[in-house]
Amino acid sequence: MWVWFSKLGSPKWFYELSGKWLPWLIAAMVIFMAIGLVWGLLFLPPDYQQGFTSRILIVHVAVAGTSLAFFPLMFVAGTITLVWRMKLADMVAKNAAILGAWFSFVTLATGSLWGSVMWGTWWEWTDSRLVSMLFQLFLLLGVISLRSALEDSDTAAKACALLSIVGCINVVIIKYSVEWWNTLHQVSSPVNMDASSPNGPEFWIATLIMIVAVYLFLSVSLILSTRNEILERERKAQWVQDLVLKS
Amino acid sequence: MLDAIQFSSFAEFVDMGGYGFNVWSVYALFAIFVAVNLILPLRKKQKIIRQLKRRMTLDAEIQSEDDSNGD
Repeated sequence: MWVWFSKLGSPKWFYELSGKWLPWLIAAMVIFMAIGLVWGLLFLPPDYQQGFTSRILIVHVAVAGTSLAFFPLMFVAGTITLVWRMKLADMVAKNAAILGAWFSFVTLATGSLWGSVMWGTWWEWTDSRLVSMLFQLFLLLGVISLRSALEDSDTAAKACALLSIVGCINVVIIKYSVEWWNTLHQVSSPVNMDASSPNGPEFWIATLIMIVAVYLFLSVSLILSTRNEILERERKAQWVQDLVLKS
Repeated sequence: MLDAIQFSSFAEFVDMGGYGFNVWSVYALFAIFVAVNLILPLRKKQKIIRQLKRRMTLDAEIQSEDDSNGD
């Protein structure tokens, strides 16, 4: 276990292993994205109340749900960095913040585009779900600017791990906001596989496919940027120089 | 399977039951979001490799000049 753990922390080992995984992850991502998007745009029947705006929701729900994974991921990575001094975890945490900010922004924008026709408003300051998601975006932007401001990577890792705890608490607030404060944003619909109901299986399966596609995209993008980080930080290492010569 | 397509014409497909602007904006934004976060890291990798390569050739040249001056 410990051998495996310290191996995993080695940037070289991760670079080689992820290089083997990447083609498979990319292939799976392309397949799920294609199925999800074609289904979403061509086959998904209109909702009895929302019409074709339900097509917005399969994208919105997938991106929004996945965006909640970033702070827990950054917290785990930050803890590993501080406790076991694993450089790789710090590289993951750094790139996760940037990708997470993208996810939060797309969540807010797609939600607005849906709300503008279904709620009749683009934004509502009194809604807890909307505001807590905006807070997540600002927290992530804070983490990003903190990292670029602090040159000492050890201090940066500590500060970002601390902010990740706040972010994790906020994730819980985002998740339960619709139940604790019943304002504008609707609660998540129960999973319903009854084919005769208005929110039947076709909506759920389409959403599920999009969620898998978005998680695969998250992994691929995060692995790609972490590999770049490895090349930059380890540029003096012999294995990187060999790799550059071969390419 | 093609019967399950919800539209009978391309114009209907674009219109999305009157919500065309919102639906297409969301899918366009999603496409840009996915493309940017895959293409940028891939392009950055090429840039890093190019820079490292240049630096290594420079280092090798300096090294060989030093060697020839040493005699």
